[in-house]
Amino acid sequence: MNESQKERYARHIRLPQIGEKGQQAILDASALIVGVGGLGSPAAMYLAAAGIGKLVLCDYDIVETSNLQRQIIHRSDAVGDDKVESGRRTVKSLSPDCEVEVISYQMEADELKQVAESVDIVLDCSDNFPTRFDVNRACVETATPLVIGAAIRLEGQIMNYQPAANSACYQCLYTHAYGAEESCELEGVLGPVVGVIGTLQAVQTLLILAGQGEALVSRLLLFDAYAMEWQSVTLPKNPDCPACGKA
Amino acid sequence: MNLNIEFYASLMKYLPPGKSRFRREVKVDDDITLSRLISQFHISEAEAHLVLVNGHFVNCGEDRAQRKLTEGDTVSIWPPVAGG
Repeated sequence: MNESQKERYARHIRLPQIGEKGQQAILDASALIVGVGGLGSPAAMYLAAAGIGKLVLCDYDIVETSNLQRQIIHRSDAVGDDKVESGRRTVKSLSPDCEVEVISYQMEADELKQVAESVDIVLDCSDNFPTRFDVNRACVETATPLVIGAAIRLEGQIMNYQPAANSACYQCLYTHAYGAEESCELEGVLGPVVGVIGTLQAVQTLLILAGQGEALVSRLLLFDAYAMEWQSVTLPKNPDCPACGKA
Repeated sequence: MNLNIEFYASLMKYLPPGKSRFRREVKVDDDITLSRLISQFHISEAEAHLVLVNGHFVNCGEDRAQRKLTEGDTVSIWPPVAGG
């Protein structure tokens, strides 16, 4: 770490949980962010500001006016642009040293697995169950840590998969197949609610990268913004899980 | 017997009338199982995504059908969330 980096990340370095070692791990790390929308916006921005070495941004959508109320990585003048390009611009302006790679199409299972394997951690910031199950499976098969956030209306959830700790995976939660889920487009979503969850995804990612993710293993946090209630739940690993189970 | 139920987010609409936004104390049959409690309040299986008894996660399917409840238990239910 050079002197300019030591100054830039001084407040992280001062934390005993991060220190110079943890900050160096963050600087050396790469992350795939699937979805550059409401969750991916704060997640990508905080990871960039925190000094992460490389971000791979994946999203096939373009920026629409109705995104701007919550997708804070995109500015008004980005309407009509690819979300990944708009995301790249914001990330680069926050942290010019952060390497950014973009994928502006939906990856097939094989490519998703390949990309998941090439990074240190994956953030699921997508907006539908089929993508979430695909991302989870790619991470389970490549033993890549995964931080999963989800939000709609005034509610959000966050959990992570840490293969080294043999934790529960996202699919352990789902015995049912959820094909036709509710969308933010139809149901609505309060902007800062996705911000809270996406920001927590960045928190968990940084802790895991710095080797401080133990307290987060197999835990699911549930947030109801309307009731202003949080619940923290311990998730047992499902032995019959279609993704990480023995079968 | 008496139980506490907590229905969060979009499931609050299934709560019987009462003061709290998300919690009620309800009287139910003594031999009630978790799945019978869920259907008694008209919540479908797909909606009852995360079910906790006294803060502990209970798998869907068989676990819920077999899970007996006891006086004073708190059952919390959250819907599935995929958006982002």
